[in-house]
This record gives sequence, C-alpha cells and structure tokens, in this order.
Amino acid sequence: MNQSFSLKILDRFAGLFRLFGVDYSKLRLIVGFKLTMDKRRVPTIIGNQAQKKEPIITPFVTSLLLYAFLGLLLIPFLFFAEEFYFSLAIAFTIVMFILMTSMISDFSSVLLDVRDKVVLATKPLDKRTISVAKFVHVVIYMTQLAGALLLIPFVVASFFHGLLFSVILLVTLILISLFCIVVTALFYMVILKFFDGEKLRNLINYVQIFLSVTLVFVYQFIGRSIGLIGVSLEFPIEWWQLLLPPFWFSAVFDILLNKNTNQFLIIAASLAVIVPIVSLLIYFKAMPAFEQNLAKLLNASTAKKEKKQWFTRKIAKWISRDQQERAVFDFARVMLSQEREFKLKVYPALGISIALPLFMITMMFIDGYGVNPEIDYLYGYFSLLAIPTIVYMLKYSAKANGAYLYQVLPVQERSIFYRATLKAFMMQLFVPVLVILMLIYLFLIGPIVLLHFSIILLIGCILTPISYRMMNNGRYPFNESFSLVESANTTIIFGMMFVIGGLAFVHYLISTLPYLIYLYLPLLLVVNHFIWKKIFPTR
Amino acid sequence: MTEETILELSDLSIRFGNQQVLNQVNLKVKRGEIIGYIGPNGAGKSTTVKIILGLLANYHGNVYVFGDNIRDNPVDYKRKIGYVPENGEIYDDLTASEYIQFIGQMYGMDQAEIELKLDALLAKFELTKVKQTKISSFSKGMKQKLLMIASLIHNPDLLFFDEPLSGLDANSVMIIKEMMDQLARAGKTIFYSSHIMDVVEKISDRIVILNQGEIIADGAFTDLQAQNKEGTLEQIFNQLTGFDQHEQTAAEIVGIIQGAD
Repeated sequence: MNQSFSLKILDRFAGLFRLFGVDYSKLRLIVGFKLTMDKRRVPTIIGNQAQKKEPIITPFVTSLLLYAFLGLLLIPFLFFAEEFYFSLAIAFTIVMFILMTSMISDFSSVLLDVRDKVVLATKPLDKRTISVAKFVHVVIYMTQLAGALLLIPFVVASFFHGLLFSVILLVTLILISLFCIVVTALFYMVILKFFDGEKLRNLINYVQIFLSVTLVFVYQFIGRSIGLIGVSLEFPIEWWQLLLPPFWFSAVFDILLNKNTNQFLIIAASLAVIVPIVSLLIYFKAMPAFEQNLAKLLNASTAKKEKKQWFTRKIAKWISRDQQERAVFDFARVMLSQEREFKLKVYPALGISIALPLFMITMMFIDGYGVNPEIDYLYGYFSLLAIPTIVYMLKYSAKANGAYLYQVLPVQERSIFYRATLKAFMMQLFVPVLVILMLIYLFLIGPIVLLHFSIILLIGCILTPISYRMMNNGRYPFNESFSLVESANTTIIFGMMFVIGGLAFVHYLISTLPYLIYLYLPLLLVVNHFIWKKIFPTR
Repeated sequence: MTEETILELSDLSIRFGNQQVLNQVNLKVKRGEIIGYIGPNGAGKSTTVKIILGLLANYHGNVYVFGDNIRDNPVDYKRKIGYVPENGEIYDDLTASEYIQFIGQMYGMDQAEIELKLDALLAKFELTKVKQTKISSFSKGMKQKLLMIASLIHNPDLLFFDEPLSGLDANSVMIIKEMMDQLARAGKTIFYSSHIMDVVEKISDRIVILNQGEIIADGAFTDLQAQNKEGTLEQIFNQLTGFDQHEQTAAEIVGIIQGAD
C-alpha cells in the first residue's frame, strides 16, 4: 500500500534523516499513511462501500492541472533578458502568492490536525520524528504543487536563457518554496500563541474565500498580462525593495547573470539565502512550543460576547409575522454566517458577484471608456447570478445530522422552514452585496441608480423562490451532508443565467422609454407578492 | 504477585492560565490494579491522563511510569501503554484495517502479526464485516470497539480508559468489564475514568476521587464505605464532593419548567 512514488524518493534520503536523529521507519510510516488519507480528503459519494478503487483523477490531480494552467501566467515575465531584477520579482511575487495562499487554504489541516496530538503523541515516538514527519508531509505536497505550477515556465525559461539560468532558477525556487512553508507555519505559530483556535479557523476560512475570488481575477488577468510585454521597464533600485522578499530572489539573477555588483543587490541576494535557512531553523526550534499551543484547538473556544441585536430583531419582525417563522429566520441567519464549510462553498460565489461588476467598471476606466450612466448599472445583474447557486447550496450543512429537528418540532406549516431560510439568505447575503454595489454606482452615476437597483432587488426577490422551486422543492434547509453534494444542476443554473440576461435586457429596453420604468417597479412588486404566495401557500 | 509500582505521581500540579487544574496530586499504582479515577466535570481527570501520556508538558512535580521519570525518557515508556481517548479522536478517513495497521506498526509490530491479531479481535468484537470500511461511517459503538482494539493490539502493560463504555450495547459492556477483570489478573494495570458510578464501583479494586484538582478519597470501595456513612459509590461521591442538594436543585428545575404558578 505505502509504496507510492513520493515514498520511494523519500527512501533515498533515509540516511540524511537518520543523521539528524530521526526514526526513519516511523517517519516513513506516518508520512505514508498521511498520504493515503490525503487521497481521500475530499469525500466521495460512495461513502460506505469498500475503498478499493481509487480514481486516477482525484480532486487533487484536478487542482494540480489548474495550477499548471496558472503557471502559464508566469511565462511572459521570464523573457526580459536584461531586466531580471524587476521582471523576475513580479514572477516570484505571483509564485509566492499562489504557494502561500494554497498552503493556507489546502494544507492548514495538516499543520493543525489535533488528532495528531492524541493519536501520535501517545505512541513511542520522539518529538523530533513527529515534527519532521509533519514537515516532510508538507514538503511533498508543496513539491507537487510547485512542480505543477512551475514546470512549464521552467522548461521555457531554461530553453531561452540557458543552463546557468535554469540552475539558479531551480535553487531559487526551492528556497522560495521553503520560505513559503516556513513563513506560513510561523504565521500560525504566532496566531496560536496570541489567539485561540477559533480565531485561527476563521482566519483560514477567510483566506480560503479570498483565494477562490482572487483566482477568478487571475484568469481575467492572464489575457491582459500579455499586453504588458510592450511596456518599457525602467526600474531604479531602491532600499525599500529589501523589505520585499521577491526582490531578494530576483537580485540573485542580476548578480550572477548580469554581473551587477550593486551594494543593495548583494544584500538582497544574501537575504535570499540566509532568511529561508534561518527561518527553517526557527521553525524546528519553535515546533515543540507550537505543538503545545495546538492543544488550544482541542479546547472549546471562549464564549462569544452577546451582541445587541435590536436591529436584526426589528428586521426579523418586519419580515416574518409568524413567530415560528421568525425563529427559523434567526436560526438560518446564524447558520449562514457561522458554518465554516457552508461559507467556504458559498461566499466565493458571493464575492465574485460583487467583484465582477467592479472589475468590469475598472477595466472600462483603464481602457479609457469612462462610465456610461445609461448601461453600466446593468452590471448589477451580475449579483443575481449567485442566487441559483447559493439557493441550491442552502440544503447542505456540515452537520446535517442535526436536521432531525425539523421532523421533531410541532410545526403545522412545513413550508416556513424554507420560506424563512430564503428570507434569511436575502437579508444576510444578497441584500448586503447589492447595497455595496449600489453605493459604488451611486457615487459613479448618481441618484437614478436607486431606482434601477430597486428593480434589481425585486427581481432577486422573485428569482429566489423560483430557484428554490426548481432545485430544492420540498426539501429542508441544512438537511444534507456536504459529502453528498451532487454537482449543482448545471442546466437549471445555465437556464437561469439566460433568464437573468434577458431580464437585464428588458430592464434596459424599458429604461429607454419614458416613464415606463415607474410602472415596471410596482408591477414587479405585485409579481413578487404573487410568486411568494404561490410557492409558499399559507393555509 | 509482586508489589511493583507501575505508575507514580508525585506532587503533580498544573495551571491553565490562572486556573489551578491539578494541585499537588500524589498517587502510587501497583501492578494488576484497576483504578477507578472519578471526579466531577472539570476536576482534572483527563488532564491527569494527558500529562501521564505526554500530551501536556508544562506541569510541575514528577510522573514515574514503570519506574522511570517520563521527563527523562519521554518516548520508551509509551511502548507498553494503551489509551482509549475520551472524545474518540481517530483518523476516520482510514479504514478499520488501515488504522490498526498504522497504530500497530507505530508500536513496532510487524504487519503479519497485526493482521493475525486484528482479524481475530475483529471477529470477537463482531466487526469483521467492516474491516475494509472507512471509520467515518462507523456508529459510535463500532468506533469505540475499534479504539479498544487499537489500545490493546500491542499487548500493553498499562491501560488508560477514558469512558470506554460510551456508546456500547449491554452485551459489549459485559464483555469489556469481564475483559478488564481478566487483564488485571494477568498483571495489566488499568486506569479507568468514568462518570458511571455503578460500573466503577463494581470493577475497580481501588477508587480515587478527584475534586478541584485534589485527591479527596483513595481506597477500595469497602474502605470508602467504612469511612463514610453513605452506602453506594454514587452517594459517597456526592457526599465527598460536597454535593447534597440534588433533590433541591431538581425540584427547582422542575419548578422552572412548569412555570411559576
């Protein structure tokens, strides 16, 4: 079982590990089992069946392909023969950004696995073997990731710049990867030292969300980065660049290849070698203390301060008259804002629906078009695109077992569960997004935006119950486990995209005719009322 | 049987923040004893076990296991220790067989030996069918049985059981209780924490009651009975931990539930 390629390579270094006083056979055992578990980390639908077959295209392999694609982005920056210092700094910034964010998002579970404490620390193993095993596990992961990301750019660059360049690049990339691992780990150590585990988990959650939103923009950027090549790069060397790690690494190239002997460059290049090694030493020194602090993750977090909630209470009262429904509304609101896995699945879609319209507008400005008050508010329709996906996700929860509550409670009208959850979704997620967009457009275009956005809001209110009806009809919210997520019903979601596009077009047509828009608004109000009544009939 | 001391705690203390969780705990455990280690929630039971197992390091005082100070040699003594953790922490992405293979090899056993023992044990615990199944799909009782196997696979001399019976059906409970008895007669030492007093009363040779980080009673059940007027361990426990208001508290709770009439 434990004969994977990574382990075979690891075996070559067995002597080295023993030299450092590590129990190599135990280390191999731990790493082997960790790798087996990694393969299963994303739960498959076949939960109960014998786990004999393991698919070749695991989610991990898919993500490696994605990184390989991202790596293409680096290629343009590798062609400036004379300007290594600046162009490679950009390339390294991108590399470090991707490596560190994915370290945090995908691999926190390795560094923060509390089960390690109970399962491994009670076994006859010395602390050093455990910390080295953890480190090796991370390094294996990082090697695969960095390999996928950098292989193509590396080959291309070696081809253009020759052997010496590629040797330096290889060494630099190893140092960079090491630096990223250690800095992430040290970051955790500091956080855990001063805060409790709950804070750290939240922080990781936000980094994950941030990463998925950023990736969307990286795609957008790939096309545009090619346009940057023509720009001339006059870049003076300044002292503050010493504070930015990517410049340390790119300085190495300027010194060795361009024979540049600038004082700052030499300092920078020595930092590139010294800092990763020193931080690695700190890492191994600090690891035992870190393991101690990890115990914090085992303990329940400190109680939350009770917030004053008169405002949300007022809204809840206004939104649902029925007391039971109000209770479900409050419950759903908390679930939407607290459940980490749910946030991870849903918030990126939400983030994109804010960011995409903003991105469009920014691009317009960059390209010199300016704002077009007649059309640009229509970008607000992008925020509606998140509705079907998120409504679809509402039936999932990481703790789906708790859903027996719905059956147990004495509720006459079962539809209140979903009605209230949809309302909570609108209040908690959709309306805030729309308001933020509206404020920005208000600033850019003017008060007429209020009218347009009211229409968009109403259309959102209408689409929400329709999405529910088409995808989750009659199911309870937070009722199914995430491990059973079927890929969202793509046909319906695509269909909804066309509907939303069509509605945007209708909106535009109506706005070109005088006064009609003032009729459109009340019409939508009536439709909204009718739709909610129809989909959630009250007896 | 020799009067060999297997475990000794001397002046064991630990603080979490400004809370003194253990305060000068002294205890000597002899080979073949079953110690019922009980106390109210938050008394420091799990903390004691965690220190002995090397999960917590910033304690004061000394812990000797098999005669050696665990501070001086923090690794070797673990070879002969088995542990069933309180919250059932387990790598549940692995299958039952993979998990036990992993644990067994960590204790230095070879694969064939583990396989042989595992098959026999799984059969006895009626888990044979789920040998190749992921632990994440196990019921609480199945998981508990697997943890029990994991703690015993390497034939340890000192066992720590933290609520080992939780989730088990009545028949399995009887097996485990009888098994502990026979293990003790075979010279194993068992350190047993639980909140179920009748079980502790029946299986323990010696009962240690911890309250607010201090040992407030230590002896065979008959000794405790002699020292205290009350009859069952539950009553003695209530009396020693200074809790005599259960009737009154219950009455107040019932009052609150029914509303002020």
